[in-house]
Amino acid sequence: MAVIETKDLWKTYGRIEALKGVSLRVEKGQIYGLLGQNGAGKTTLIKILLGIVQLTHGEASLFSAPAGDVGVRRRVGYLPEDHAFPNYHTGYSLMDFYGSLYGVSAAERAKRIPDTLEQVGIAGRMHYKIKTYSKGMKQRLGIAQALMHEPDLIILDEPTDGVDPMGRKEIRELMAVLKEKGHTIFLNSHLLGEVELICDRVAILQQGKLVREGTIAELTKTKGTFILGLISGQVFPVDAVTKLGFAVRPVPDSAGHFEIVLNDGQTIEPVMKLLTTSGLTVTHIVEKKQSLEDVFMTTVEGAEPGVDRKRRRARPVGGGE
Amino acid sequence: MPNPAWTASGGAPAQSEGGNKAVQQFFAILKDSYREAVDGFVIYVMLGLSAVLIAIAASMSFTPVPPEDAFSAIVPQFNLIVPDKGRSSAISLEDRNTFKASDVETAGGGYKLRLTVTATTERSREFDPVEAAGGKSDRPKGDSFRSAVARWSAVTGETVRVDEKGKVNKNKGAKGIDVAVPTQFTVAEQRAVTDGQMEEFLKSQFVMHADMSATVTRSKSGEEPVYAFDVTTTGGSAVKGWPHATKLFFGAATLADNAPLGGTLWLIEDVVISRFGGTFTLLIGMIITSFFIPNMLRKGSVDLLISKPVSRSKLLVFKYIGGLTFMFLVTAFTVGGIWFVLAVRSGFWDPSFLVAIPVLTFTFAILYALSTLTATFTRSAIAAMLISIGFAFFLFVFGQIKAASDSDKVEHPNSEPSFLQTYVVDLGHDALPRTRELDQLVRRAISSGTLTPSARKLLIRTEDTPSLAGTFGMSLFHIAWMLGVSCWWFSRRDY
Repeated sequence: MAVIETKDLWKTYGRIEALKGVSLRVEKGQIYGLLGQNGAGKTTLIKILLGIVQLTHGEASLFSAPAGDVGVRRRVGYLPEDHAFPNYHTGYSLMDFYGSLYGVSAAERAKRIPDTLEQVGIAGRMHYKIKTYSKGMKQRLGIAQALMHEPDLIILDEPTDGVDPMGRKEIRELMAVLKEKGHTIFLNSHLLGEVELICDRVAILQQGKLVREGTIAELTKTKGTFILGLISGQVFPVDAVTKLGFAVRPVPDSAGHFEIVLNDGQTIEPVMKLLTTSGLTVTHIVEKKQSLEDVFMTTVEGAEPGVDRKRRRARPVGGGE
Repeated sequence: MPNPAWTASGGAPAQSEGGNKAVQQFFAILKDSYREAVDGFVIYVMLGLSAVLIAIAASMSFTPVPPEDAFSAIVPQFNLIVPDKGRSSAISLEDRNTFKASDVETAGGGYKLRLTVTATTERSREFDPVEAAGGKSDRPKGDSFRSAVARWSAVTGETVRVDEKGKVNKNKGAKGIDVAVPTQFTVAEQRAVTDGQMEEFLKSQFVMHADMSATVTRSKSGEEPVYAFDVTTTGGSAVKGWPHATKLFFGAATLADNAPLGGTLWLIEDVVISRFGGTFTLLIGMIITSFFIPNMLRKGSVDLLISKPVSRSKLLVFKYIGGLTFMFLVTAFTVGGIWFVLAVRSGFWDPSFLVAIPVLTFTFAILYALSTLTATFTRSAIAAMLISIGFAFFLFVFGQIKAASDSDKVEHPNSEPSFLQTYVVDLGHDALPRTRELDQLVRRAISSGTLTPSARKLLIRTEDTPSLAGTFGMSLFHIAWMLGVSCWWFSRRDY
């Protein structure tokens, strides 16, 4: 049973198409990352899953129940992107309020609230009014309220927004622990490095369309590009290698390294043999790998940089991305 | 670990838990509304003002005048008669009798006294040759007391409407009080009045004018037209009609020297607290609660709430009830507090004033439903506040127009009601929430609890009593549709 499943999911706001036939599937125990520029439709997708926004067409389900089903929301913890906690609450009372809405008993709340706040590192301030919290503390509180009722699925929209580097590391570690415990995490983040570090699968949305989807390994896999370097003073035989049918180009700002691009079916073996027979000594050979950021940039390259201003203005209030 | 109960069942908790969870969610939202209300300073201003009002009420003193003086003030009112043994809505004035209380002494929880009625002999209409010759006739005679008792016993005859200026208005529906045209009783009819009827009449008059139960026995001392009665009352001085000296600020200011306790309490509870205090409480309540729904609907806040396992309609209705509960508690604190200190200070424990608590809350429920509707559509606290306060003002003005229109119709029964009266005022009254009638409901409750029956007949117009079903039914209908539309809009809207 998929934890999250969407099939040909569409959402339109008037004439604006926020989602265009998005289909994805998240399995139990995965950390699933959703990437995309501003306005790509990430938050809209999350809001549809939680019933905050209604879908226009297609299917969306959580635990096989229709998205937005009240009962199934008990199994979900959610941290929205621009959350605004009521300032009249303390951290503790807010957790108590949300815990009550989730149906957690008073005794359980009394036990879990300090534990969860301890987990995110703000237990010492739990009886202070939220209006005295820093942005990072509010973010940690947001994560805590999403975890307190021990949900099967945790949906985090920009969880490290406003959190300092140490805090980010702690949150990453927390997510790893949650995954180990069997929770499924659906993560929406702009921080590609973080996503790459912790996600099992990633989807990239561009202008409402799902343009890439797969494991980190699948997405960052390259066609086969090697960086070669020779001993100091030796000249790289560019012409000879090119004659073998490889594309060669110098690597800018490197110590005389060259980039060799393999075509389909080729291996680096002929180049190595050529260099050896030419009496050259290879001191550096690395198979070049794309980072997730490279993949993302390549994917969205040439597309509109996010939502243009006119379209953003046309978007209804509260419509999300 | 993910919640094992959910994992095992593969879904939401079992249905049997649903009821308890809903109750838990309801109280969580109530508690949240409470936190929101007490977070601002306005609530403290409001509670502070309520506390000041309670303190002022607590500074009042109600000192009963001595029994001798009290009965001397009460019994002269017996000239005011309500026919049909007090059941008529009309009153009748018989000022030819002199009532005098004497030999007042404490007896048990009440008093014993001698009541003397000095009446005026009525000349017979038949020719009496003895009297005509200047002699003393032995024919039986009538007198004004016997006539008064006969009038009290009889059903009301012809009545006229006397307006506030004391002028007779031919239109029976005009503002004012019904006064019975004195019925003339023959000597024979007057002579037929028994001692028992006289005693019953006086017992009734003690109830009508002082709300005091009494046993009355005619004493044979005295010769007609002077009548003597031995009276024993119960209930002491803490009765509606007992004159009291009322002082404010622990005796520093005198409000009344010799006014009936009930009348003074009515003035304080109805006019000062219920009208001015109620309006003030409603106004502040609307200001404070107008922020509840818009705050809930703020971006970033509403997402979090909607993502919880509570339906949107429940969220909104629970939040609405949270606002009502807030208003109920504030009203209960103010009205209940004032009632309690007044009761302690006066010794008069009539609970009718407490009716103001649910009725004011219900009035607020109508206005808050509109505030909720406005907030759901606009998400603006200012819009919700202005529209609900504006609507309250409109209902007040409309109520006054309706009252004026009704009076006009009564005063001009033969003229055809205008188009505006029929299709705007009357239809509007039928269709709109009836806050004026709710106000009348409180007035009636307070007056019945504080005023003596005779004072009520003089001060409170009861013939235009609205039906409870109509008043509450129409108002409930408005609350229902406004909340229904709010829930519908809230449920279908994207946030």
